[in-house]
Amino acid sequence: MTFVVTDNCIKCKYTDCVEVCPVDCFYEGENMLVIHPDECIDCGVCEPECPAEAILPDTEPDAQKWLGLNAKYAAQWPVISEKINPLPEAEEWNGVDGKLEHLSEKAA
Amino acid sequence: MNVMTHPAELEDCAPAGTFVETVTSVTHYTDNLFHFHMTRPNGFRFRSGEFVMIGLMIDKKPVFRAYSIASPSWAEDLEFFSIKVPDGPLTAHLQKIQPGDAVLMRKKPTGTLVNDALVAGKRLYMFSTGTGIAPFASVIRDPDTYEKFDELILTHSCREVAELKYGQELVASVKQDEMLNELFDTSKLRLYNSVTRETFPYQGRITDLIENRKLFADLDVPPLDPATDRAMICGSAEMLKDTKALLEKAGLTEGANNRPAEFVIERAFAG
Repeated sequence: MTFVVTDNCIKCKYTDCVEVCPVDCFYEGENMLVIHPDECIDCGVCEPECPAEAILPDTEPDAQKWLGLNAKYAAQWPVISEKINPLPEAEEWNGVDGKLEHLSEKAA
Repeated sequence: MNVMTHPAELEDCAPAGTFVETVTSVTHYTDNLFHFHMTRPNGFRFRSGEFVMIGLMIDKKPVFRAYSIASPSWAEDLEFFSIKVPDGPLTAHLQKIQPGDAVLMRKKPTGTLVNDALVAGKRLYMFSTGTGIAPFASVIRDPDTYEKFDELILTHSCREVAELKYGQELVASVKQDEMLNELFDTSKLRLYNSVTRETFPYQGRITDLIENRKLFADLDVPPLDPATDRAMICGSAEMLKDTKALLEKAGLTEGANNRPAEFVIERAFAG
């Protein structure tokens, strides 16, 4: 089991989750974070911390399709272990549908 | 299998982001449970009730598991309770540690069983089963807990009477400790024990005792009330799920660090 980051992170990237992760399993892209599925210990502390409610356990039906994306980019992006400022337009993008097309594949 | 516990050896190959700390005492309670103290790194801060990753180097690879810190945030050393899993990747080896051995600890403590995640209230329930009592060993020795609440009720439920012992000793030691009694009013703390597999005056699963209200009758307190009661829950996956459902039925809502509410649960541990 693992937790996964889903589309509401894109273009928000609040990073409150990083602050509470005991194993530093978040990896940072230009406009999104992902969780490394093999490093996550399922402690669940990050899930309620996300202001965008973008984190789900992989047991949720909606989470399944995000597993591949999280695994792929966790292998490419650098680890992030401290909270940083959200992206400048986070408030405007929080809750917007269809953000996947805006995902940047670039590392932070 | 090569298990590295020599402090100098561990210092050499400890992964980045970990401390190497020395075990100072070990007590075995049963075939399934032990308790140990270890040194606390300078500058390491945590909130009472948090957990941290503890591990060993086994065949040159770090193996970590989440452990609640059983000591309060002000203590000079660190305390932990541990189960013993017969072929457990970590505890099969961790249970053999001796004073003088070294153990790895990751740098970031975290968790949900903290006073910050609860809004103010009159009464704090800490529902625990087995080694789930560990984070509460920390919370009941923190002065902040006594400032925040008028009454603290620690429930500790185990399968057998013998397993209740370490919780009973813990609460007795808090009530008798001169220094703690100067810091806060230990008479606010009450312990409620129950066992599930043996005959005992207080018998049954904690969830049954909540549902049939025997818990409240025995303690002479009103049934759960979201206006006054707060709770922390730490036990098996099933006990967490069932107790959460009962608290929600009584009108309490789950809180988190960034949005405090009436109860919190620990989700970090399997089984």
